[in-house]
Amino acid sequence: MDKATIICRCEEITYEEIEEVIGHGAASFDDIKRLTRCGMGACQSKVCSHLVLQVIHEITGKPLQEILLPRMRMPITPIKIETLATNSTEFSTVKSVLDELELEDGKVK
Amino acid sequence: MIKDYETLIIGAGVIGNSIAYHLSERSREKILVLDKKFPLSGTSGSTQAWVWVHNKNPSWYAEFSMYSAELYPYLSKKIGDVEYKRTGGLSPFFNEADREKAEKLAEAYREIGIKIKVLTRAEVLEKEPHLNPAVAGATFSKIDGNVNPFRLVDMFMRAAKKQGVEYSYYTSVTGVEKKNDYYIVKSTKGIYRCKNLLLAGGTWSREIGKMLGINIPINQLRGQILVTEPLKPFLNYTISGMRQANNGEVLIGYSMEQAGFNRATTLDVIQETANLAQHYVPAIRKAKIVRAFSGIRAMPEDGFPILGKIPGYDNLYLAATHSGVTLAPLIGTLMTELLVEGETSIPIDRYSISRFS
Repeated sequence: MDKATIICRCEEITYEEIEEVIGHGAASFDDIKRLTRCGMGACQSKVCSHLVLQVIHEITGKPLQEILLPRMRMPITPIKIETLATNSTEFSTVKSVLDELELEDGKVK
Repeated sequence: MIKDYETLIIGAGVIGNSIAYHLSERSREKILVLDKKFPLSGTSGSTQAWVWVHNKNPSWYAEFSMYSAELYPYLSKKIGDVEYKRTGGLSPFFNEADREKAEKLAEAYREIGIKIKVLTRAEVLEKEPHLNPAVAGATFSKIDGNVNPFRLVDMFMRAAKKQGVEYSYYTSVTGVEKKNDYYIVKSTKGIYRCKNLLLAGGTWSREIGKMLGINIPINQLRGQILVTEPLKPFLNYTISGMRQANNGEVLIGYSMEQAGFNRATTLDVIQETANLAQHYVPAIRKAKIVRAFSGIRAMPEDGFPILGKIPGYDNLYLAATHSGVTLAPLIGTLMTELLVEGETSIPIDRYSISRFS
């Protein structure tokens, strides 16, 4: 593959950039992703994942079936915040930073 | 075959890497960093990465965080662009009753030299026009900001490697023992012998401590974050709960759950986070979420960093903390001083593990 070939089209990451971080020890798709942003764009690795696995395989010689696949995350396909949101006005696990501030005898500790 | 090192660091997260980098500036002796997976696969790679000072509580902990935030500009000059931005930090409140609490915070922090302003509704909306007009006010501090955690760890690692630090990834520590003046560290990739052993295992600190019979009281606390598609720049500040990255993506979330090492994202927290987003910035409801992720915080039992020598063990050091991104430059600097000179320029006795015994 030509070094200038774009592997990740969303983030415009080339073969050369991927090769470089594999040289630094990156061994899985997600290792490469966090160092280069490959697969972090709009398609969330749907387009590039197989290509990246092939590059890892070519460079490291590791059998394809042993290379970890990217971790897919919700919501899989982009979805509007208003679609996800609910009518609830209560917050349980999500907090405001000021909520955490504890006063002792009416004073900041 | 046993390989010899002067210093061995367990954990290549933001803390282990900062220590490795800072130590390699001062010492030419051999340093090895081990990681059970690959850097950024754990906590350091799943964070909003605020560099946050202004409502750390109590004030001595805010002061400690401030010293670290102050080191960031210099650090970026040394290791390269880590996309550190001192945007200023804004914590909005929607209930007028919170103003008194905010004023008390500002008053207490004035004494230690951290300037916090309590903003009126009009002042908040002038600074951040897209915030919900229903906002009552906000606390604001200029010292807060954010950084790109991926670039931060990568740059630490590249700089450390240039200075001779060795790394071994996908290397799980399976046992540690003290033998005469050395520590023998057994791993899935080999056996190492070192004079100084530094534990920077983050969320896994408790497990590493067990290998030496030491109780390291670190628990796990999950947080879930939503990432939007890139949006045109519209947020000027780091808002507690929300920040816009250089590429336009907005990271949203401030959740806390005890879920052990479970890295799942869950629909209820995702929905609550979406509610938070549109409560803070109503216009964001039309933006699309491309990804949700979760990260596990390393949370000391009392919430404060555990730093320094481990009493009763020669040359055994520990750095385990929450807010690793904020504190990494300072912890790297201080732990290096402790290793090289035997003492630190800023006292860290308060953070010793001995407070738990």
